[in-house]
Amino acid sequence: MARVELKNIKKIYPVTKEDKRRKRKNEKPQHRTAHLQVTDKGVVAVQEFNLDIADKEFIVLVGPSGCGKSTTLRMVAGLEEISEGELIIDGSLMNNVAPKNRDIAMVFQSYALYPHMTVRENMEFPLQLKKMPKDEIAKKVSETAEILGITEYLDRRPKALSGGQQQRVAIGRAIVREPKVLLMDEPLSNLDAKLRNQMRAEIIKLRKRIDTTFIYVTHDQTEAMTLGDRIVIMKDGYIQQIGTPQEVFVHPANIFVAGFIGSPQMNFFDGALLREGDDYYVRVAGDKVKVGKEKTERLLAKDVQTRPVTLGIRPEHTVIVEEGEGIAAKVDVSEMMGSSVHLHVTADGRDVIIIVPTMAMKRNYGLGDALKISFSGDLVHIFSKEDETNLEY
Amino acid sequence: MSTSESTKGRVQLTVLRIIVYAILIFLAVLCLFSFYMLVINSTKSNAQLQDTFNFIPGSHFIDNLANAWTDASINIPRGLLNSFIVAGLTAVLTTYFSALTAYGIHVYNFKFKNAVFVFIMAVMMIPPQVSAVGFVQMMNNLHLTNNYLPLILPGIAAPIVFFYMKQYLESVLPMEMIEAARMDGSGEFRTFNRIVLPIMKPALAVQLIFSFVQSWNNYFIPALLLDKAEMKTVPIMIAQLRSADYSKFDMGKVYMFILLAILPVIVVYIILSKSIIKGVTAGSVKG
Repeated sequence: MARVELKNIKKIYPVTKEDKRRKRKNEKPQHRTAHLQVTDKGVVAVQEFNLDIADKEFIVLVGPSGCGKSTTLRMVAGLEEISEGELIIDGSLMNNVAPKNRDIAMVFQSYALYPHMTVRENMEFPLQLKKMPKDEIAKKVSETAEILGITEYLDRRPKALSGGQQQRVAIGRAIVREPKVLLMDEPLSNLDAKLRNQMRAEIIKLRKRIDTTFIYVTHDQTEAMTLGDRIVIMKDGYIQQIGTPQEVFVHPANIFVAGFIGSPQMNFFDGALLREGDDYYVRVAGDKVKVGKEKTERLLAKDVQTRPVTLGIRPEHTVIVEEGEGIAAKVDVSEMMGSSVHLHVTADGRDVIIIVPTMAMKRNYGLGDALKISFSGDLVHIFSKEDETNLEY
Repeated sequence: MSTSESTKGRVQLTVLRIIVYAILIFLAVLCLFSFYMLVINSTKSNAQLQDTFNFIPGSHFIDNLANAWTDASINIPRGLLNSFIVAGLTAVLTTYFSALTAYGIHVYNFKFKNAVFVFIMAVMMIPPQVSAVGFVQMMNNLHLTNNYLPLILPGIAAPIVFFYMKQYLESVLPMEMIEAARMDGSGEFRTFNRIVLPIMKPALAVQLIFSFVQSWNNYFIPALLLDKAEMKTVPIMIAQLRSADYSKFDMGKVYMFILLAILPVIVVYIILSKSIIKGVTAGSVKG
């Protein structure tokens, strides 16, 4: 259990000969550098990462592939050199400390179990390296195996285990050491959907049983929302937003965060923000909606003026209008999800998803049916057209 | 398909099988014939060998064995011991250090890494005969003739074995396993010895066998460096037989000498043939 501070952490990969050749010939950069900043020093994979992780906090780094989340995790682990900045764990600078001396354990995406050792030997290995007495090692392994429900597999080799069992062994090997910080690099990504849900619940239970600081990396926003105390959303090496799951869901800092968090994705419209005195209205495709009181206060505080904007409304906040004004839409697909219906419609030239509780559906909608949609002024998100940031914050 | 077409197909298949088996039997006989004759002739007395040539075993196996084992001019037990020591140690050291070198090249990124790899591959192209004269001169100057060391130590640098190990590591050793060991607190050498070497068992087995056999059969350098009778290895002793006057020799004993010389290699191949096949094909498909 430890406090972890990342101060202005930066990771720069030297430019390769291949990158230089492409730049000389004005060719497109390779995939991994395509969206990242390229400086004279090299490709910047992680840009000035600042984060203060409290003791025993569960932090999730989430973002699309290539955003720098795994690189950041590996810098904390000591498996990647920190190009600039400081990593401090429990008050000690760790930049040049070897991984084995950081008192950090890591669970890898591919589990990285030692195939020639049994489960017991895999879990004993880190404790043997600490020169712990044999009886103490046996006790710790036994206790950890019981927590994870893998006692009956202790004498098996990894190849005799299923994916979920291997994953639990990988976690067991990490937590048996009682590390200060536990790092997890997309540990559920190799599992099927059902097992992933199950293991997610196991990790939540595990978190309650072991007292340690977690740093968890995933590209799945559902995992991020369910597991993290706080989420760090990254894109192209930059932090987009840090906040609790509720904060990032209800108050997304920009269009990227708004579109990344939440499933199905938020609906976006081109519209206009109209300031009329101390009131704000949003207009999209002929529909004009008054912005809610709290949002109005925030916009007034920033003295936001009339301007074109991008509006974001979550599918569950998009409503079907039976009478009155609304955005004209046409039904493409209707998905019966059980407790709710997902309507895929085309509105204002865009694909829009509406989630309607099944019990609230007044009629069934089929392909080509026309309807009108609208939204509440309290639930709309307003983003700048210029830099895509949320105009309220 | 009609009955006549099906019958025709079956006949064609049978004829094809007969041809294939005939070829395979012929090749097997061709390969094994000389070994068979060696064993048969080692069971016959000199008189029987001078008299007639046939494929039937004789009854002088024990006599020939006793004569060969106790021969005063060719000390085959001593020769076998020398060869075992040289070939055994060479095989172990070659395999271990080649694996270690391959591990270093595979796992670490350092300046001139590619140049080092190319250099090692370039050394592979140089035949040992090219450097033999200089090597023998150097051993003379260091007073290391009639010594095991110059036969064992140079074998540690084996580019072919290194290349094989490197290719094997690329297919079976993910970097995450090394990183997991580092995170667990393992130092680099411990990681190599406790994690990587056990994973490389099939490759190690193959190279142990091949290195052992190559060193066992090595005649050129030992012939240049060893002239004391008690230091000579088996190939040197066999070469002595070749240059001897056959008319003064007990041919049954000669055949027994040769059989004893190659027996360890045959035993190694037979016992470890499964490891050879497993090791040669291991890593060909990513697991």
